Amino acid sequence: MVNLRIEDIDCFYESSKILENVRFSVSTGVFLGILGPNGSGKTTLLKSISRVLKPRKGAILLDTTDVYKMKTGDVAKQMAMVPQDSNIAFSFSVLQVVLMGRTPHLGRLQTESQKDFAIARRAMEYTGTWHLADRLVNELSGGERQRVIIARALTQEPKVLLLDEPTSHLDIGNQLEIMDLLKQLCDEKKMLIVGVFHDFNLAARYCDQIILLKKGKIVAAGKTAETLTGENIKEVFGIDVIVNKHPVTDLPYVIPISKPKDQRQRSLSVHLICGAGTGSTLMKILTDSGYNVTAGVLNVSDTDYATAQYLKVPVTAEAPFSPVTEKTQEANLAMIGKANILVLTSVPFGLGNLRNLEAAKEAVKIGIPTYVIDEVPIEIRDFTGGKATALFWELKKLGAMFVKDQTELLRLLNISEEEAKLAAAEASSVVSHLKPSEG
Amino acid sequence: MEINDKSVKLKRVSRWKTYFLLLLVLFFASVLVSLNMGFAQIPFPDIIQILLKHVPFIGNSVQLTPFQENKESIIILVRLPRIVAGAMVGAALAAAGTIFQGMFRNPMADPYTTSASSGASLGAAVAIVLGFGVAQFGIFTIPIFAFIGCMLSVLVVYFIARVGSRVPISTLLLSGIAVGIFELAIVTYLQTIAGDKLGPLTFWLIGSLSSTRTTWTGVLSMVPFILVGIFVTYFYARDLNIIALGEDQAQHLGINLERLKLILLILGAVLTGAAVAVSGLIGFIGLMIPNLTRLIVGPDHRILIPASVILGASFLVLCDGVTRFLTSPSSPQEVPVGVITAVIGVVFFLFLLRRKKRIDAF
Repeated sequence: MVNLRIEDIDCFYESSKILENVRFSVSTGVFLGILGPNGSGKTTLLKSISRVLKPRKGAILLDTTDVYKMKTGDVAKQMAMVPQDSNIAFSFSVLQVVLMGRTPHLGRLQTESQKDFAIARRAMEYTGTWHLADRLVNELSGGERQRVIIARALTQEPKVLLLDEPTSHLDIGNQLEIMDLLKQLCDEKKMLIVGVFHDFNLAARYCDQIILLKKGKIVAAGKTAETLTGENIKEVFGIDVIVNKHPVTDLPYVIPISKPKDQRQRSLSVHLICGAGTGSTLMKILTDSGYNVTAGVLNVSDTDYATAQYLKVPVTAEAPFSPVTEKTQEANLAMIGKANILVLTSVPFGLGNLRNLEAAKEAVKIGIPTYVIDEVPIEIRDFTGGKATALFWELKKLGAMFVKDQTELLRLLNISEEEAKLAAAEASSVVSHLKPSEG
Repeated sequence: MEINDKSVKLKRVSRWKTYFLLLLVLFFASVLVSLNMGFAQIPFPDIIQILLKHVPFIGNSVQLTPFQENKESIIILVRLPRIVAGAMVGAALAAAGTIFQGMFRNPMADPYTTSASSGASLGAAVAIVLGFGVAQFGIFTIPIFAFIGCMLSVLVVYFIARVGSRVPISTLLLSGIAVGIFELAIVTYLQTIAGDKLGPLTFWLIGSLSSTRTTWTGVLSMVPFILVGIFVTYFYARDLNIIALGEDQAQHLGINLERLKLILLILGAVLTGAAVAVSGLIGFIGLMIPNLTRLIVGPDHRILIPASVILGASFLVLCDGVTRFLTSPSSPQEVPVGVITAVIGVVFFLFLLRRKKRIDAF
């Protein structure tokens, strides 16, 4: 058991204050993530915990002892640190570097005993680096080297493992491997893991607790799900995000929203009749181009619904797997009534959403300019036994404008191809993020 | 598990022992070869006889032939002090080079980094040109001034580089370079006003082990500094390994980094100062020998320090032998030993560098 307690510390570099009144307490078996923008004091916090930068005010207690009153060697027996990246001078072998972790446990002229070799080997086996033992550490890949550095830290036999952005130079596969390893250390070896991270989702997926730092102060701290909220992230990072629950893991999933590329405000509003993902890209392009976009009727479980939520597009929604009711239809018609343009995508029609075609018909009748994207033949996407097809051709007769695809529509709406491409690319990434929450 | 911990450890220990023994053999061979080199031809059996006579306890039972008695003083009073001086200077410079390279995490560092050499030059120049201290120290004046100049200069650099309680390595290097340039400027000025002392000053600045400098008294007075310096350096071998991980990492492993830097700096300065006091400035050894040794035995300072020390000693003893070999009645001017060390050493070093791009670290 170990308890790490940070008591109201203030830290300075020269005369500038980096940390102010930081306090928290964590114990064995917790994986704590520290998040914050650049310059928020994350690394400084780790430095002061690891006895490198003494706070001017407050104390850092390991169990009940102030680390700054302990001998450096004694601290190193309890706490180990893994830096972002290690540049090791001279050609040391992996085993030599790992064995250096035994330093705090050895006397000045004492050489490593068999026991020390055994400890180093166990740490290397645990981190999957034993096969690299004779390789030179500077010839390893980033991921291998980081695992070697973690093995070295474990060889110190610490109770607390501090990590400063341990995965920021690694590819996604290595990031996950390192994080899995840390989680395992936390669960199996009951270590206290304190790491600075950049990636919300990586932190959300692995950390039990999160501390959000901004300008040297703690903005929020606590259990991951409670701390990693949209408001907190907006407050700390100044960006809009959507926080979803991951459908498989039930962990928070953070999606940042970029600011619209095109700031031209068009006073026009467009209503989209879409569904099954046929409207997501268009929704993104239109909102980015400054249109006021609305959509409906969409089922709550629909991909287009999720996209609309993400883009903050008002939607007339229907309960999952339910046909459009009278009441919803009225709400949708009211929404369409406020639009300047109606767009109908190549959505498949079943009995559940047939009413959307009827709504389109109403719109054409009252004179709202209506564009129909006739990309997929209606006969193929008609699952109503002909009803949809009939209504569809009726629309044409009534004067709805048919376009062959989205590109033609955008040309008519005077949106350039590059803008559309940019927005579409982003939209597809959004949709793929959202996929898990599809019904 | 095919490789067990015991075998890994034993492998390392036996390899280190092998290196150590081979280097010791190399060292004694160098000494013998060097004793043989010189204008007077003395065969190896005679050299060994003469040496044995001076070994305590067994020396009395050794009988020398008239020829051997004739050559005894050349071996014992002329060549041997020179060889001891060469061994000490080579060992000290190699050790200091290892310290500075480890401390600065940079294979380009050498004993003269951080203004040690320019400080020593200034000290010597002050003693020679201005004639300070001759009354008090006699023939030791120049060595003492050189030693003190070296120590003072390095300490000045240390305190200039100090920011609060920390001495950043990069600042230490830069202030060392700046102070060095300042001191060399003064030395240059002293050369212009030296008058008839210009000859002795220039001669001193070129490193040499010639017999005018290397008398038994002169050499033996510096031996304690060098031996103690090397012994204490070995004490910090593991710390030097850990500095290779980076300054922050070293601290996280429980090293008191600022104290360590000061200790290493003083050790390096003492070793350099003592070497310079004996021989003047001999280049190359402090830079190349540690690098060369690292290529052979690997970067672990626990073997690197002793191996560098022995290799540095052997190398300088051999090179000095070569200078004597090249001196004859027809060309009585000795080739400065620094020229030999550079020529032989660089060629051998480049050869090794090309051949062994990487080495096994154990």
